[in-house]
Amino acid sequence: MAFVAGRIATSLLLALAVATIVFLALHLVPGDPAELLLSTGGITPDPASVAELRQRLGLDRPLHAQYLDFLSGLLKGDLGRSLVDDHPVASEIALRLPRTLELIVVGTLVALAIGVPAGVHAAVHAGGAFDRVMSGLMAVLMAVPVFVLGTLLILLLAVKLKVMPAGGFTPFSRDPAGHLVLLALPALVIGKGLATVVFRMTRASVLDILPRDHVRTARAKGLSERRVLRRHVLRNAFGPVLTVLGLHMGALLGGTVLVEYVFNWPGLSTPLIRAVEGRDYPMVVGIVLTISGLFLLINLAVDLMRAALDPRVRAG
Amino acid sequence: MAPLARRLPWRVALPAGLVLALVAVALAAPVLGLPNPVRQDIANRLSGAAPGAVLGRDEFGRDVLSRLLWGARTSLFVAFAATTIAALAGTVLGLVGGWLRGVMEIVSVRLADVILCFPPILLALLAVTIMGPGVATLIVMLSILYTPGFVRVSYGETLSVREQDYVAAVAALGARSPRIILRTLLPNIAGPLLVQYSLTLGAAVVVESGLSFLGLGVVPPTPSWGLMIRGARATMEQAPLLLLWPCLALTVTILAFNLLCDALRDAVDPKSAARGLRLVDRVAPGLLPRADAQPGPQASDLTANSLAVRGLTVEIATPRGAIRPVDGVSFDVPAGETLAIVGESGSGKSVTVTTLMGLLPPAARAVAGSAAFEGKDLLRLDGTALRALRGSRIAMIPQDPMSALNPVRTVGEQVAEAVLAHRPVGRAAARAEALALFRRVGIADPERRLDAWPHELSGGMRQRVMIAMAIANRPALLIADEPTTALDVTTQAQILDLLADLRRETGSSLIFITHSLGVVAEIADRVIVMYAGQVVESGPVAEVFAAPLHPYTKALLTAAPEAESPPRPIPGAVPPPHQFPAGCRFQPRCAQSAPGCEAAQPLMAMRPDRAVRCRRARDLARMEAG
Repeated sequence: MAFVAGRIATSLLLALAVATIVFLALHLVPGDPAELLLSTGGITPDPASVAELRQRLGLDRPLHAQYLDFLSGLLKGDLGRSLVDDHPVASEIALRLPRTLELIVVGTLVALAIGVPAGVHAAVHAGGAFDRVMSGLMAVLMAVPVFVLGTLLILLLAVKLKVMPAGGFTPFSRDPAGHLVLLALPALVIGKGLATVVFRMTRASVLDILPRDHVRTARAKGLSERRVLRRHVLRNAFGPVLTVLGLHMGALLGGTVLVEYVFNWPGLSTPLIRAVEGRDYPMVVGIVLTISGLFLLINLAVDLMRAALDPRVRAG
Repeated sequence: MAPLARRLPWRVALPAGLVLALVAVALAAPVLGLPNPVRQDIANRLSGAAPGAVLGRDEFGRDVLSRLLWGARTSLFVAFAATTIAALAGTVLGLVGGWLRGVMEIVSVRLADVILCFPPILLALLAVTIMGPGVATLIVMLSILYTPGFVRVSYGETLSVREQDYVAAVAALGARSPRIILRTLLPNIAGPLLVQYSLTLGAAVVVESGLSFLGLGVVPPTPSWGLMIRGARATMEQAPLLLLWPCLALTVTILAFNLLCDALRDAVDPKSAARGLRLVDRVAPGLLPRADAQPGPQASDLTANSLAVRGLTVEIATPRGAIRPVDGVSFDVPAGETLAIVGESGSGKSVTVTTLMGLLPPAARAVAGSAAFEGKDLLRLDGTALRALRGSRIAMIPQDPMSALNPVRTVGEQVAEAVLAHRPVGRAAARAEALALFRRVGIADPERRLDAWPHELSGGMRQRVMIAMAIANRPALLIADEPTTALDVTTQAQILDLLADLRRETGSSLIFITHSLGVVAEIADRVIVMYAGQVVESGPVAEVFAAPLHPYTKALLTAAPEAESPPRPIPGAVPPPHQFPAGCRFQPRCAQSAPGCEAAQPLMAMRPDRAVRCRRARDLARMEAG
């Protein structure tokens, strides 16, 4: 319990630090923040619009007052209003977040479904044909950026073979089958990035556990090879895999932005990219904070799962 | 790093060459006589390969090959610039934080931790919102993004290096901090930093191209692979090749950086590079060499023996050739008796019993000999038959009970598992059996201890758990592999008493491996002395102790702290692999060595019950008597 409380406290502190950095980012860049947001290509913006933006973002008030307002807004779930259409940022995120989450969850499941069994099999038969082919394939796949893989899959499956749609979105409630068909490629592409990492880590971790003494003990007891693997190797090997999984979720979340764009999946990336292009600062901050918060939550969950799997982690 | 450079393996050379070639192309782009990469030629848009445009033209009629090569220049410039800045800043921060500790540590290391809480692309997008897109923004933001990685590497390495003796020694000599850092630390952390550098280069290329693909990185018309893919997407139906070229260039570049990183990591980290040898080291710490096999001694009455081993020879395939850690070993374990196997580390004791249990790692196998147990030859049983014996008829008590227990299962579970593996009982019955076993081996408060984790128990308690596991199915043969080495003296005595009690009570045979002669005298009926994979002497314990025949046995006895005279350690150590004498293996360390000892020594029967592998044994015995 002390471990759980401590780990949650750490996450809250990190969340505060993340929020603070996001808040300060605009002020850390040399120059007037409002002027920065309005300048494009070195052209000095119109002083009237700078003054207006300054007033709108509250940049004319003392820094500590802005900071406190920002934090209290966060606590109330108020992320401000879009500079472009004046809609509340939070409601836009609430609409889009579930679609992004769906991609992330399914992508992670795909990664685990491919990476873990393949990694275990490769490790148990290390040096064999399967191991060498998979290790090589995964190394190559790791070098293919998600947007490249997504684009090439569209070229092959949608444009050339015409067996899959090039992208888009249908709500599950309206057309379940159509929804899943549209989900398949983006989820697969997102899963690919993580699958290579999961494969590598599972393989390395199982290879690390296999020669350990306690595995020999399990064999000395006369357990079958399958049972030895399931009860004395996999559970021990999964801890490091989980940790790496948590760390790489950052890359996965970033990759999701690109994949959504490639496949026209209307998650958080559409408003994010539009907001970056339009320098819609509150919207960008809101989405960045949401996804970073998600990242923190995932890593908290990973640590708690590790503790559930390994009593030594709980003991600290 | 010098030995690394001398025998540069192709695993490093290949990706390094590829990276160098990419850098060369990027640097040479302006002088290759390529068409202007931004000059448009709308009339020829999307035209295929033609003289003057080897890879065709893009959607604005720009030369694709030229844009591809100039694109390499953009990508690599951004990647190298950002990575170099991050490496410099991160290394300095990490060194300072790790060396000075205190406030600097908190500022540099904790800040780095917080930056690592952001998904990289999102932090980049935040920076683009504030600063606007462009190469300058990319470099600033990527260097901020990757600084924490270098902070972590240099901080961690600094912490471990500053603990090392020579760094402390240099500091004691009065060298000032910055000098120490530069002179002694940097060369040590250069390897891991190089790995991080190549890793970061690849990551930077990924993020730069991704952002450019979104239209938020490099600003058009500057050629960039990400922008090329973005542009070609719209026309992929008419001109799919336009899409393929930049995709290929990008993938090959990232692959080159990744492979370089992997290869460097293996080269820098001796642990991963020596993986092939490590496994062998676990079974045969001494890495023993090959020698001609010796036939076993005369056959004895097999029926009276629980176990009869003849000519057991184990071969391990190593990168340096096959070695034989166990070579022609023969011995008997009479039913109900205790056999001790003694010898220094690396003498082949553990490999011998591991072979009997069929638990050798894949690289090792028994190439000759037999091991008769209950009418079967253990060396020739298939996996299923052997598994049925393991843990039921033959059980093992390991050397280090901490590592022998699975840290993530309760001890009760692990003992019950031994019962479940061989008896058709339910989980509850197995648990009740485990409880009874815990009581039998003298574990206090057994009900509560069933649900304890291994790390919650003391060393002696853990060894009792291992013994409970071993006797769970009342085995006919118990093998204890230095079961008291990891324990303190008081606990050692208790465990020995327990083992003696159990053996008397169950009538099982016991093989007891140890290098402590005091223990042998206490527990064993017979003893075999092993040296370098061979049996050098065997006989009843009392006789061997009273009148050792082999110079090695004598040396062991005088080296033991239990001896009446002050202990005299045996000079030298077991020779390194492949430098082993062809004849008597102990000869180089032997005080009694004489001409003729260079020849191979057979195991000779001395009295009905004793054998020795020394041609001078008779002479030496006579000399001592006379």
